Amino acid sequence: MRRLKRKDSRKYLRSVVAMSELTVQDARSIIEEQIETLKKRNKEPEWMTKLRYKAMDAFFEAPHNDPIIKDPLDYIAKAEEEMYPEVKSLDELPPEMLALLDRLGIADVEKKYIAGLAVQSDTSIVLNDFLKEWRKKGLIVESMEDAVRNHPIVKDLFLKQFNPYESKLAAYHTAVWNGGIFLHVAQGLKVPMPLHLFFLIQNSAMAQAPHIIIHAEPNSEIHLIEGCTSPVLVRHSLHLDMTEAYIGEGANVKLSVLQNWPEYVHTRPMTRARIGKNAEFINTTVGLGTGKSNIANPKYWVDEGGYVELNGIILGQKDFYVDLGGEMNLDALGARGLNASKSVIMDKSSVITRGLIRANAPKTKGHISCDALILNPEARMETYPGLISQVDDAELSHEAAIGKIREEELFYLMSRGLKEEEATQLIVKGFVNPLLKDIPVEFVVEIRKIIEMAVSGGM
Amino acid sequence: MMLQIKNLEVEVENKKIINSLNLSVGKGEFHVIMGPNGSGKSTLALTLMGHPNYKITNGKIEFDGKVINDIPVDERARMGMFLAFQHPEDVEGVKIIDYLRLLLEKVKGIEPAKALQIIPSKAKEVWFSADMLSRYINVGFSGGERKRFEILQALLIKPKLLILDEPDSGVDIDSLSLISHKIRELYEQGTSILLITHYGRILEHIDPKIVRVHIMKDGHIVMSGKEELVEKIEKEGFKKVFEECGCNE
Repeated sequence: MRRLKRKDSRKYLRSVVAMSELTVQDARSIIEEQIETLKKRNKEPEWMTKLRYKAMDAFFEAPHNDPIIKDPLDYIAKAEEEMYPEVKSLDELPPEMLALLDRLGIADVEKKYIAGLAVQSDTSIVLNDFLKEWRKKGLIVESMEDAVRNHPIVKDLFLKQFNPYESKLAAYHTAVWNGGIFLHVAQGLKVPMPLHLFFLIQNSAMAQAPHIIIHAEPNSEIHLIEGCTSPVLVRHSLHLDMTEAYIGEGANVKLSVLQNWPEYVHTRPMTRARIGKNAEFINTTVGLGTGKSNIANPKYWVDEGGYVELNGIILGQKDFYVDLGGEMNLDALGARGLNASKSVIMDKSSVITRGLIRANAPKTKGHISCDALILNPEARMETYPGLISQVDDAELSHEAAIGKIREEELFYLMSRGLKEEEATQLIVKGFVNPLLKDIPVEFVVEIRKIIEMAVSGGM
Repeated sequence: MMLQIKNLEVEVENKKIINSLNLSVGKGEFHVIMGPNGSGKSTLALTLMGHPNYKITNGKIEFDGKVINDIPVDERARMGMFLAFQHPEDVEGVKIIDYLRLLLEKVKGIEPAKALQIIPSKAKEVWFSADMLSRYINVGFSGGERKRFEILQALLIKPKLLILDEPDSGVDIDSLSLISHKIRELYEQGTSILLITHYGRILEHIDPKIVRVHIMKDGHIVMSGKEELVEKIEKEGFKKVFEECGCNE
């Protein structure tokens, strides 16, 4: 197997020092260089390069409103040029990546499901297996770089749900996006097993900005599982992924995102979806290691009879800051939305949930539920449900339950001989369990292990 | 002596509930505690198990020759004590099968694969089907199901001392008979029993000759005897029995 050069860590540390003194002019030339590099590397069509430059201009004008990342310039670094070569099987992966997949139990998952498994390192997809068979039936899974060249339809879908002028981070993502996938499911095609995609962030200080497009044609069905993790613990990194989903009439799409970031990563996932007539979109996000901070406000637009569900599972640890929003626009007759979150809040972490549902058409139905288990007096939880009804006959509701583990429940389990730690782990796992219904059992096992470790660490 | 309670005094929220209570339960003995509502029976059960809200202000509890006043609940359980609760708690989201497997692994050192063989067959004995085992602990259970689930856990753990707090309250007639059977089964396997009840019915399947009965009133034991005491109370009621013995003074 051919391995390409890795960045020298000492050189990298020097560049970090330099970065904090970036001027706007420096930033412009760095972004320009990144765009030129990506353009050449990806042999991009002109429309894409134009879009990148437009976004670069937007970056300097767009508003910036982030309670943690005060200055996005701090995160602007040189794009890595190295790529892993295409590999044919799991055995050909670099050993550190393989070890990580092993630890996550992913090799087993892959064997079991014989489903598509795509692993993306910093900038490129390194493994693309089991997909040839399905390609013939109309399932396209390609790196976004390839898809931009290969499929004219990408031009009609790329950045149609975002505007680079809306925020600096959206603009920066658009200017320097790299990696990500294009997923296209042909009309009526039902993919019976989940498709796995893994992001591994390896170069710190670099903004990883994968762009994902899910294009589900009418009456198609697919379940995409994204895993995000990082094998390297070096310094603050910024992860800026953007997902645009187009769910055609009658289609059924599940997107499950498992985040397990180290504590140095800031993540700002940007997700938007248009849900067609009678279509269904189930978006589950499991933030186990949410990184230093994780701020997300996914937005959905739901057409007649359509349904959207956002299930958020949040494990707040250490001094992490997690803010999970969710904006649902029920735009046509009978559209429905459910925003359900369960947060386990430990140590000194802060978790905020803010769902917003707008009923813009008759007979729409929306519900926000927010449950939180607070395990430490220094942990903080805030919830702001928002319900806006523009019509008379919409049904909107919300409920919230924030509390500690009940003493009687703990006593009951401990009275059978379980130690406090074991009983607490059991209760916490039980608390999040109802929202894990769409996650394959192998991942649930892994998620439970992570929860056990987090609870033990917090005690 | 399996359990020895000496001059026990217990407070809940600064209110004295139990005072000068003495009781000994020997190995392989079957004791029954009866008493009117508010006499302190449940307080005694929860104190024996080490509930943090029940403060021992005087006296001591010895289990298996060791003073356990300051020993936490989970350790008492691992020493061999088991309390079947009057009101077993719901544990949302935790499947019975996962819980019992963990319990057998952590408390009895039984490997998960082996536990998965043992649990369903024991469960069947108390009418828990495989479907029931994937339900959440006590969530949506009927009275009978709750009490049978307590017995199931006792059967799996096989404690040295089984304390039962009203295993007959809120239970249908068939469950009651089954529970009575299972208590005898545990007793015959060598478990000492301390059974708190209002009614004699739970003793249906127990040999009357082995039973020692204690009557509790105002936080201590006012009367001890044999099985006839149960019959007398069932026939005459606590009020009359207390008048006769001069226990109201």
